[in-house]
Amino acid sequence: MPRRRSATWFVSWCGLIAVLFVIYLPLVPPILFSVTPAEPGGMLTLQWYLALWRDPVLVSAIGTSLEVGIVVAAAATILGLGAAMAIRSLRVPRFVLALMLLPLFVPGVSMGLATALFFRLAGFEVSFAKIAIVQTAWALPFATLIVVTAMSTFDPVYLEAAYVSGAGRWRAFVDVELPLIRSGISGAATFSLILSFNETIRTAVVQGPLNTVQTYIWSTYKQVGLSPALYALMSLLILLTVALVAAFVVGGARTSPAASGVNPRGR
Amino acid sequence: MLRRLLARWAFPALPIGFAVVFVVLPLALTIAVSFWTRVGLVVRPAFTFTSYEAFFAGARLLVFERSFLASIEATVLGLLLAYPIAYFLAFKVSPRAARTVLLLFTVPFLVNYIIRAFAWTWLLGRTGLINTLLMASGLTNEPLDWLLYSDVAVLIGLVTSYMPFMIFPLWLSLSGIDRRLIQASWMLGAPPARTFLRVTLPLSLPGVFAASIFAFVGCFGESAIPVIMGGVGYQMMGNSIASAMDVLNYPLAAAISTVVLAAMMSLLLVWYLAFDARAFLGMILRPGK
Repeated sequence: MPRRRSATWFVSWCGLIAVLFVIYLPLVPPILFSVTPAEPGGMLTLQWYLALWRDPVLVSAIGTSLEVGIVVAAAATILGLGAAMAIRSLRVPRFVLALMLLPLFVPGVSMGLATALFFRLAGFEVSFAKIAIVQTAWALPFATLIVVTAMSTFDPVYLEAAYVSGAGRWRAFVDVELPLIRSGISGAATFSLILSFNETIRTAVVQGPLNTVQTYIWSTYKQVGLSPALYALMSLLILLTVALVAAFVVGGARTSPAASGVNPRGR
Repeated sequence: MLRRLLARWAFPALPIGFAVVFVVLPLALTIAVSFWTRVGLVVRPAFTFTSYEAFFAGARLLVFERSFLASIEATVLGLLLAYPIAYFLAFKVSPRAARTVLLLFTVPFLVNYIIRAFAWTWLLGRTGLINTLLMASGLTNEPLDWLLYSDVAVLIGLVTSYMPFMIFPLWLSLSGIDRRLIQASWMLGAPPARTFLRVTLPLSLPGVFAASIFAFVGCFGESAIPVIMGGVGYQMMGNSIASAMDVLNYPLAAAISTVVLAAMMSLLLVWYLAFDARAFLGMILRPGK
């Protein structure tokens, strides 16, 4: 169907760009404040970024965030892959999908409270594991959706071809399916990592003695309010998030046939 | 035999086990604890409605009403913004452009919403960008006070947080519509507006409802945006839960949380009964068709 480039079409694009502008607007002020000097009229400064490294609480929080992020990215991706397989092979795909997507519909505080009560009654007090579990539960719906979407472009007939050629289940999966859904796997891992870095409320409820960068920001805000150093920290998180998405887009476009929407079988 | 069975089922069973143990079980526990009783700082199993009475009798009922109204407003506003965007992306632009725009909408959603709320407090403040622009353009003489620490501010915070994610289910259901149905309506002589109201809109309702549930429940249980953008004392359901937790009154926190969960579950149940989920999720659930 030939597309008519009508006036309405252009107006719609302008509206869309306006909405995007408003949605992106809040990403700018923290970055501006993070380079604003202490006394007005001075040069732009990076001193607040340097100040970050002198706070031992924050440095250990950054370490925790990185470690938790890697664990969450790995766990959510593996579980998401398993969930996608369960959706494909079990007889109750709707039920499995609903179960996996449930955390999307539960507000953060409610989920945090529920997990905190659970850990408390179970007598489970390992701070790191609690943070990793609550964040994995939050990232899992997204990871599942991404892997399921990638798998839907994969034609199971390839697996049958592998079985006929004598491959076992494991070998068929690793050699045939995995390379074709790789963009889904890396997407799930990237998004889980980003979600982990940006999670506050659930983590804050269960955290225990350890801090992540986000709970550090939240508790500092509640105790002493906002500061240029805090804005510097927020800017780093914003830039990291944008960089991770960009890396995923560039990497995904380069490596995967599925990412560009091309069905290998040629529909 | 056992090894093969394990190899085949262990992997798919893992996430199901995880979700049951760390999501379903804790949520069930919340409901149970809401009927428990608190003796000093210890929580004891019991069956009492004390926490619910404390919630519905006190000033917190006001919080319930306010959360309900604010969530409805944010959901409706979000739909009014997200639906045209999803419609435009599904029908008027190339799939490639649609994917790019959808990705652009995910980026701000991924950035922590607390950070975004902090930024909004500056943008909406007395000396912030919006008031500065309004005064520079001569539209107002003095800064608008009601932009920040008000219902308007909370509404802006909620809509900008949840609207981007409402686009996805809407886009999913709109792009899943069989184009031949729309063409048939057109060929049978229906004008565009009528085709939209009688064909496109009804077929996209599963997406509308999914987006609404997501936004409504999210806003209803929101805790950070009211604190940061609503000002001192502005509370929604999420803040009520958090403040009950701060004084270690877990049964009360669980009771308020149960009210939120009940709202979520009844909405999800209506969705499940009213719509065929396969029509909505068909694209991802049935590969290759």
